[in-house]
Amino acid sequence: MGYDDKFARLSRREAMALASAAGAAALINSPAFAQGTPKKGGVLKVSANANPSSLDPQTGGAGSDHTMLFPMYDTLVEWDYETLKPKPGLAESWSFTDPQTLVMNIRSGVTFHDGTPLDAEAVKFNLDRAKTEQRSNIKADLATVASVATTGPQQVTLKLSQPDAALPGILSDRAGMMISPTAVKASGNIDRKPVGAGAYQFVSWTDNEKIVIKRYDKYWRANERHLDGIEFAIIPELATGVRSVIAGQNHVAYSLPARQKAVLKRASNINQASGPTVYCQQIYFNWGRPPFDDIRVRKAINHAVDRATFVKATLDGVGEPAFMNLPSSHWAYDAEVAKLYPHDPDKARALLKEANIPQGFELDLIGYTDQDSIRREEILIEQFAKVGLKAKFTNGSIAEMSAAFFGKDKKGAGLLSAWTGRPDPSLTYTLLYSKNSYFNAARADVPAGLPEALAATRASENIDARKKAFATVQRIVMENALACPLAFQFELDALSPKVKGFKPNLLGKPKYEGVWLES
Amino acid sequence: MAQGSALAMIGRRLLQAAPVIVLATFIVFGLLKLLPGDVAVTLAGDNATDERIAEIRRIYGLDRPFLVQYGVWLWKAAHGDLSQSILSGEQVVTSIARCFPHTLLIVVMALGLALLIGVPLGAAAAARPNGPVDRATMTLASIGIAVPNFWLAMILVSLFALRWNIFPATGATAFSVSPTDAINHAILPALALAAGGMAEVARQVRGSLLDVMSSQFVRTLRAKGLKTSTILWRHGLKNIAVNLLTVTGLLFNRLLAATVVVEAVFAIPGMGGLIVHAAIQRDFTVVQGVVFAMVIVVILVNLVTDMLCAAVDPRIGR
Repeated sequence: MGYDDKFARLSRREAMALASAAGAAALINSPAFAQGTPKKGGVLKVSANANPSSLDPQTGGAGSDHTMLFPMYDTLVEWDYETLKPKPGLAESWSFTDPQTLVMNIRSGVTFHDGTPLDAEAVKFNLDRAKTEQRSNIKADLATVASVATTGPQQVTLKLSQPDAALPGILSDRAGMMISPTAVKASGNIDRKPVGAGAYQFVSWTDNEKIVIKRYDKYWRANERHLDGIEFAIIPELATGVRSVIAGQNHVAYSLPARQKAVLKRASNINQASGPTVYCQQIYFNWGRPPFDDIRVRKAINHAVDRATFVKATLDGVGEPAFMNLPSSHWAYDAEVAKLYPHDPDKARALLKEANIPQGFELDLIGYTDQDSIRREEILIEQFAKVGLKAKFTNGSIAEMSAAFFGKDKKGAGLLSAWTGRPDPSLTYTLLYSKNSYFNAARADVPAGLPEALAATRASENIDARKKAFATVQRIVMENALACPLAFQFELDALSPKVKGFKPNLLGKPKYEGVWLES
Repeated sequence: MAQGSALAMIGRRLLQAAPVIVLATFIVFGLLKLLPGDVAVTLAGDNATDERIAEIRRIYGLDRPFLVQYGVWLWKAAHGDLSQSILSGEQVVTSIARCFPHTLLIVVMALGLALLIGVPLGAAAAARPNGPVDRATMTLASIGIAVPNFWLAMILVSLFALRWNIFPATGATAFSVSPTDAINHAILPALALAAGGMAEVARQVRGSLLDVMSSQFVRTLRAKGLKTSTILWRHGLKNIAVNLLTVTGLLFNRLLAATVVVEAVFAIPGMGGLIVHAAIQRDFTVVQGVVFAMVIVVILVNLVTDMLCAAVDPRIGR
């Protein structure tokens, strides 16, 4: 699919939105290996980084699932690869008839893999299930949807409890992945027997080993889909995944750590793809208790880190410094907020002195045991030492340490971790910085004005108005230093030269639309 | 060994196995529960709220007292039901049946390699103690024991898979699907595993043979004019059979444990991967199931080893 076709299918609102972000799109440095005419056929073999938590998008929970869900489930709304701006998917158009009513027109002639037509009834069934099914993990995503009504054979109307312009973005993620109502009604649990309306239909899933999907012949965009199928070999050890691509057993390994870049460079038969993502490495603060309940200490940390050096040392250039929770190519990025925390050890020391933090003060931080995390910790320990702070990291597995920090134990003052990003930034900011959010470790009060500013980002669907609203949110979050964003880790993929038409996306969760294999 | 005493021995061993299984699974269960975090956090997904996590604990019975949870698991296991994975919903028995053959193949091949190379090396070393062959063998054995198997695995991959493309770098094929392909996939992991075993077998064989060679009956054999090599191969090896069997049994169990790391390097979907993945996610039914299966395998291996020893050396059975 060429860029022009894509543009032609956009609504006027989308086109305007895209135009406003044209500058951002130009920043992408990803080589699209799209030379030549696409050839039909072949099975793409992907080294997948984790066993999925479930193949039912509503009951699963891991961010690593999406890359396996996207080929099987088309979403109501899709996003632009470079900016994540919403664009039509299964919903060919939508509009807010008033701030609390979203009308979506569903494309006609689309069927699920079991032949069930994808109509307004099916969409209503899916959204209702997401809100009510006991095992649904996305109830919170659709919290503002009060009711869903079918207002035509191919039209649904969502009544909202409050204005929510983030919904189109939300419907491009799990909540927008449409599942066949027939399949759900038949068995109730489709975790291991997924039936969607995507380009590929499910064949088999062997736990921790392999997922096989094959092309769905009646797919509505069948002529833009070239492969016969995709096989995901589950290889959690990323270095092993890279070796499987170099040895020619797989075609793609994705979301690789930066240190694999050198390995890829040495391998003669490998193409690299990379591009910005919303994956943000950051230090989470527990701002409900000392020392991070003092804004001066949080600010000092933000001034103490030298982000440029951090990126160079830990990401080998495959990334960019993070000054907020959005990367510079994102449509809602604010260049002014990015100037708040230049690297300034003197200022950091002064702030610490003001807060009565003695020299040599021990910071009780939590981290993970993997090699890349340790490397990040070493850099930070060094940088904190320069402002008189002694960082002490307690490390463990991701599940264990995250639970210890965010869960009821409330261990540690800060956690060196990451935020994987969401299609709509309002989700990111709401999940990270709300009073009762899991990621607000202390469930502590948020700065005055933040909830209102967050609500404002959802009040209007006008992209410029939203950008302005996000600038306010980002300013409040960063002026209060509720976190210390460090770096955006760029997507790094290893591709066999046979793979053509692959493009990384800003979400950092690879999609395989338009990919074809050279024989 | 009389047939009756053999049966009695098997019966006795199986009875002893029961408390071992209970104790082992209880300790593992306790360790899993001591760690912070549980499977509910994973199940709840990225956007989880505290309420959602608590709700999931209720749904899956994770909020019940520790002993109740363990008791329920044990009661089911005693009735042949290893439950299902909390995360994937797959029957644990099915997972084990799928993963164990992969692990077994590597372990058996590694054991075969260790014996095939270790025994002749050890015997050659014992033939001329402190000679050049002995020195070389023992140096090699020291290196074999010292080199970590994951490192050796990566070196093997970079040479045999990436540079020369002789063997596949990752993955596994079920033996039942294609025996040649299965063996082809298992060679590099088996080699990586076997290095330590080879070294150990060589040292044990050398040591035991030297003992035998200095015994009185060997002096008599020499006096009768037998050649050293005849004594070594015909009489020596027969006399160290019990030692060798014991070492082999222990080695088998150790190799089984060592697969955890090697399987990760080669992305083999075996028992190691199964238990590591489950332990990280706190999917305790799977962890318990794997421990259960492993304990049974180890007990069986020990039993078979003892029976073989008794068969080889009649003194043991009595």
